[in-house]
Amino acid sequence: MILDLHNHSIKSDDGRAKVENYCQWIRKRGLPIDGFVLTEHRQFDAESDYRGLEDRTGLLILKGSEVETDYGHVLVFGVNSDMLAAFDFGRVDLSLERVLREVSRCGGVAVPCHPGRPRVGMCAHVEQRGAVEGVEIVETLNGGSRGRENQVAASLAERMGYRGVGGSDAHIVSHIGRCATRFEREIASIEDLVGALRAGGYEAVQWE
Amino acid sequence: MTSRSYQEVEFGEDLPEVEVDVSLSNVTRFCHATGMLAGRFMNHEEAREEGLPQAIVPGIMSQGLLVSLVHRWAPGCGIRKIDTVFRAPVLVDSAPRCCGVVTDKDDDSRTVELDLTIVNEQGETRVLGTATVVL
Repeated sequence: MILDLHNHSIKSDDGRAKVENYCQWIRKRGLPIDGFVLTEHRQFDAESDYRGLEDRTGLLILKGSEVETDYGHVLVFGVNSDMLAAFDFGRVDLSLERVLREVSRCGGVAVPCHPGRPRVGMCAHVEQRGAVEGVEIVETLNGGSRGRENQVAASLAERMGYRGVGGSDAHIVSHIGRCATRFEREIASIEDLVGALRAGGYEAVQWE
Repeated sequence: MTSRSYQEVEFGEDLPEVEVDVSLSNVTRFCHATGMLAGRFMNHEEAREEGLPQAIVPGIMSQGLLVSLVHRWAPGCGIRKIDTVFRAPVLVDSAPRCCGVVTDKDDDSRTVELDLTIVNEQGETRVLGTATVVL
């Protein structure tokens, strides 16, 4: 099962893609992914219901978030009301340590994304201030990365023993499906995804 | 009038890519024409003094190059909206490509949505955006 774990729709301030068009694009281009996760910036989209779109397209559409911490941006999977009450998703100065702790306590999984990117990625902060306890997974393949950013991320993951996932970080329709995560197990819900991320048995994958 | 009809355009259709001229001389001509006379656009050394790797293409020139891509594809079309996000500088004296693809059609308004990007020689997206085009 292959899921693209990092994408933005028009719900994000810099997102320009409608979810329907993501699905249309995946089917039109025959992309080898079974679904994707919407990780809107600094928010969780609790309202949108994509079950009808899932039925029409046969794609799994899950929802997470991308929050901003003192160690860069972090994908959050398994968002629930307890988590939304635990910290303010809208802040840009969250503590990574706190996000990791609260997400775990509330039953979710937190994944620092594009860690090799300057300022908004974790690697440079780790070099300057040391590693943060509680990180288990990082995004080692990000579709929006430039230069050696993905290599830097992969090196960090190898050095620290983190597992790696992949996501396109798409903001426009045609960028979905550039990177993804291949899971050994089937995933049909956000609970399944959280369980799979915790259990292991996946790898980041990329297509040109 | 436009040379392309709404009916013949398909979702997923690629616009022909265009290699654009962002040589120092061409960018300098653009800067003089628009009054954007900052050194970071026209002088590599001055750009480096500002912490840039070399001179950079002005954002509105990048947007203009994307508009040009659309008009080459559909001469005479109306661009109702164009929206760009500048992810990274487009470097002067590099060899970027402008790319576009049809990502939506609206039968009521007879408009199409386009994804637009400027990518560098390494295939990295430097500018991305969308446009709404009336055919």
